[in-house]
Amino acid sequence: MSPSLLELRDVGKVFGDTVALEPTTISVDEGSFVAIVGPSGCGKSTLFNVIAGLVAPDSGAVIMGGKTVTNTTGHVGYMLQKDLLVPWRTVQDNITMAARLTRRVTEADRAEARRVAEQYGLGEFLRHYPSALSGGMRQRVAFMRTLVTHQPLLLLDEPFGALDAQTRLEMQQWLLQVWRDTGRTVLFITHDVDESLFLSDRVVVMSPRPGRVVADFANVLARPRTVDTLTDATFIELKSRVMHLLHGGAS
Amino acid sequence: MSAPTPGESARGSRAGVGRAGRTVARNVGIPLLSIVLLLALWQGIVVVFHVAPYIAPRPRQAILAVTQNWSVLWPLTLGTIRETVYGFVTGAALGLTLGVIMAKVPVLQRLVYPVLVLSQAVPIIALAAPLVLILGFSVAPKVVIVAWIVFFPVTVNVLDGLSHVDQDLINLARVFGAPRWRTFLQIEIPATTTPLFSGLKIGATYAVTGAIIGELAASDGSSLALYQEHANSNLNTAAVYGTTMLMTVIGISWFLLVVGAEVWATPWQRRSVARRRWSRRP
Repeated sequence: MSPSLLELRDVGKVFGDTVALEPTTISVDEGSFVAIVGPSGCGKSTLFNVIAGLVAPDSGAVIMGGKTVTNTTGHVGYMLQKDLLVPWRTVQDNITMAARLTRRVTEADRAEARRVAEQYGLGEFLRHYPSALSGGMRQRVAFMRTLVTHQPLLLLDEPFGALDAQTRLEMQQWLLQVWRDTGRTVLFITHDVDESLFLSDRVVVMSPRPGRVVADFANVLARPRTVDTLTDATFIELKSRVMHLLHGGAS
Repeated sequence: MSAPTPGESARGSRAGVGRAGRTVARNVGIPLLSIVLLLALWQGIVVVFHVAPYIAPRPRQAILAVTQNWSVLWPLTLGTIRETVYGFVTGAALGLTLGVIMAKVPVLQRLVYPVLVLSQAVPIIALAAPLVLILGFSVAPKVVIVAWIVFFPVTVNVLDGLSHVDQDLINLARVFGAPRWRTFLQIEIPATTTPLFSGLKIGATYAVTGAIIGELAASDGSSLALYQEHANSNLNTAAVYGTTMLMTVIGISWFLLVVGAEVWATPWQRRSVARRRWSRRP
């Protein structure tokens, strides 16, 4: 078994009277792709914010690579549904944003931004402002900005949620390619069951009131995943199982 | 994989010369036309209603009253420009500083905001007398009056801009491990550029008015405002109108300069591709 990169030990969070997240224990293996699926209010974003260090948990500990990082920041890559590109910077300068926010941007940073952009089809747009890009391209730039932070763990919170279905499928395949190329560990939040199954090695199902993990199983679908994966018998079977977990009924 | 198609690059990356030319014509030509129409309306009213020259001159006479006395008017104009510029820069710097401090220290915001509103409720003209007592008849009281007028819209807009920076963006910077001062310089300040310039533009339109009020109330010797008063008491109506036009031109020029600064400082609002010197050579 590969060593676990991230360990959550009994991490819980209460907002007022609402239990946003019951004490939860999850361990994520290095290099794996874990999808967290659940309806809104199931605590998946709270879970992310605790891992990222934006929210202090009421209980438990976050351990990354053996080091306790509870309530500190600067140890993960992070991306939301909103691309959060700054309009006053070019694509290249948006990609190097994390460096600019923590130290002086070097020529090596810029060279890496150019290399990544060229490798993933945005080489011609380095000097464009984000306003000139389509939604899918903007999300790709946002992802590159996350990638060049060199954090081993990437937290992606519904990154493709605002895209149309065709672009989303394109982006999912693109993400799998980048994941294969770079060997990062990905924790991916979604409420889309298809998306969670299409991308991941492992599916964590959460449910609301109180936010908690109700199932955690290996996704046995073969890689590489293609359009055919979406109509595979195993896919349908897994999907049915997750749907029952989310919406009740016999499983 | 999946290289972006040309159609995907969306708006305006191939803005041609023809389009740029049309934009200039629209942005410069139409405002110029409105000024010409205004002068024509003035001329028309004076001619049609046989307005006496001591009530209202024709535009040409007003303009001649300025050009023929240019050697006298130019130093006075320079004086007004100096007061306007010094006052504007002082007011803008003060306004920006206050806006930032108030946004960052909520207690100070609650403490200072009522005082700021109060400051704008004081009639400026009533402020002039005490200012002369304190500062004398130098350039200082005019600068203070202009700054007094200019700082307020700047502070209000900067404060508003800073409190509306996307919290998710600030959180993202935190996740990256950014110290607060870097987030402030790299995210919050640039995000406030547009509201800052809104405040500066409002300030710019009132700056010359402030300078003229200052000159009226706190001048012992020569100034554009006093020149106009003299012309008025001598029934030199053309010079009165001409001086007004001159003051207006100063005001418009200053406003346009601020607009120009905004265009220069915010290329991303008009362009889809950065100018070469804006980003390091790819």
